[in-house]
Amino acid sequence: MIAFEHVGKRYGGRFEALAHLNFRVGRGEMVFLTGHSGAGKSSLLRLIIRLERPSRGRILVAGHDIDRLHHTQVPFYRRQIGVVFQDHQLLFDRSIYHNVALPLEIQGMELRETSRRVRAALDKVGLLHRERALPIELSGGEQQRVGIARAVVNKPALLLADEPTGNLDPQLSADIMSLFEDFNRIGTTVMVASHDLALIARLRHRTLRLHDGRLVADEEAL
Amino acid sequence: MSRQGQEQPRRGARTHRAGAGGRWRSWGRHHRAMARDSALRLLRHPLSSLLTMLAIAIALVLPAGLWLALDGARLLDAELDESATLTAYLAERVDDGEAGRIEEALAAQQGVADTRLITAAEGMAEFQQSLGLEDALARLPGNPLPASVVVSPVDPSPEAVRRLADELGALNGVEEVRLDLAWLERLRHLAELGQRVTLALVVLFGMGVLLVVGNTIRLAVENRRQEIEVVTLIGATHPFVRRPFLYSGAWYGLGGGILAWGLLTLGGDWLSGPVSALAASYGASFVLPTLGVGGSATLLACSTLLGWLGAWIAVSRHLAQIRPR
Ligand SMILES: Nc1ncnc2c1ncn2[C@@H]1O[C@H](COP(=O)(O)OP(=O)(O)O)[C@@H](O)[C@H]1O
Ligand SMILES: [Mg+2]
Repeated sequence: MIAFEHVGKRYGGRFEALAHLNFRVGRGEMVFLTGHSGAGKSSLLRLIIRLERPSRGRILVAGHDIDRLHHTQVPFYRRQIGVVFQDHQLLFDRSIYHNVALPLEIQGMELRETSRRVRAALDKVGLLHRERALPIELSGGEQQRVGIARAVVNKPALLLADEPTGNLDPQLSADIMSLFEDFNRIGTTVMVASHDLALIARLRHRTLRLHDGRLVADEEAL
Repeated sequence: MSRQGQEQPRRGARTHRAGAGGRWRSWGRHHRAMARDSALRLLRHPLSSLLTMLAIAIALVLPAGLWLALDGARLLDAELDESATLTAYLAERVDDGEAGRIEEALAAQQGVADTRLITAAEGMAEFQQSLGLEDALARLPGNPLPASVVVSPVDPSPEAVRRLADELGALNGVEEVRLDLAWLERLRHLAELGQRVTLALVVLFGMGVLLVVGNTIRLAVENRRQEIEVVTLIGATHPFVRRPFLYSGAWYGLGGGILAWGLLTLGGDWLSGPVSALAASYGASFVLPTLGVGGSATLLACSTLLGWLGAWIAVSRHLAQIRPR
């Protein structure tokens, strides 16, 4: 599903945020990405959604070199990936329902189909009863679940999450992670960046460890 | 990477989900939603929206007003063209019978549209009437005025009139041909100057409108930066991101155009009294032209377009910054 071939990323010409990355993630896999703060986890995810472009090497997603996408194709490429952000990036001027519907609205999906999918996604994260609420009325954990619902509403085959449990207490973090496992169980490829080592260790999935932009460990699930 | 997207992710996702008809429908729906949404956003801050529209209106009023004034000048010009006549004064010895023959000769000349003979006696009568000097003139021993023929040229342009004057002056029995072109020419030069100044002002103030709208939209984009980044991250195309701002710009432009229309109408009413009085004092019938249906439509269309364009420039500059390299 994802292949990094000799990928390096420099910021500002000199600083190497990522170097010599070589790895593959198969279809339907669930992978953790760990490393100290500043190790390059976010940079790696940003490369995958083509928010940044590699300074060297190739990145293949679903067999295609994403660096060769024309910039007008990038939006259509991004629609096929669900992304969950640490700060969930909800829009505070609209309801939970409309936040989750956003990716479908962007694609011009019909209203009835949109409403069906939004409700299904909200139901999956246990927030169907809050669809009319505004994000500000929800707790941090609930907001993050709305962010996840928005990421999966389009049924992406690839789901990326950048420190999705960063601000949450251990119980909520575990709940969020088990949501990702649920999506992985129905065939979604999942990649979660996190430095919550204790939680990762308990969940037993393949783990890529970054250190100063280099891949220092690739541990299969036990 | 939906099951189908997996095979061909470059072709764009999920074309199979909505048929072409559905696409158009949802595209139209998004346009309507954005038009309404951006109008509501303007209404949410009525005062600042009104100030922006007023700034646009003021920038539009001056060139539009000048344009109207020029239109009026063109009408006046046409009227003046009709009054561009030459007067051929006949020699003093010419009697009325001969004067009639000379008039016929003049009328037969090429480039002469019309002639009117004023005999010496008629000339005297006119002169007395217009000056109110009956008594003084009555005391003169004879009629000192010659007969004259008023000639209307076919081509009222100054060069043609001057050429015609030379030709007529050479005819037998014609003493002198008078034409008063200097002030007519001056007026023409003024009109041309006015036209160029107006054109320059239209360009300058049009750019002013672009700047006003551009700056307002730039602030709106800044306020909604997070939203733009989020929708860009989840696959919004540039046209999608631009759309609400383009509608805002168009609404600002339309609002400014309507205000400008109001100001022009009020200003026209306010000025029309003195203007026609002034024109009447020169013996001309000059009415300030109004915008009319066509002019109003043009004004509104131009202002809306300018608003839209200003927004387009502002948003596009921002989008270029947001796009990752
Ligand atoms: N846009 C950027 N410009 C310059 N340096 C950056 C940029 N983004 C990240 N970096 C640097 O790259 C390194 C990796 O950052 P990041 O990918 O955010 O790490 P992590 O997510 O693991 O904390 C850090 O040293 C960070 O300062
Ligand atoms: Mg990070």
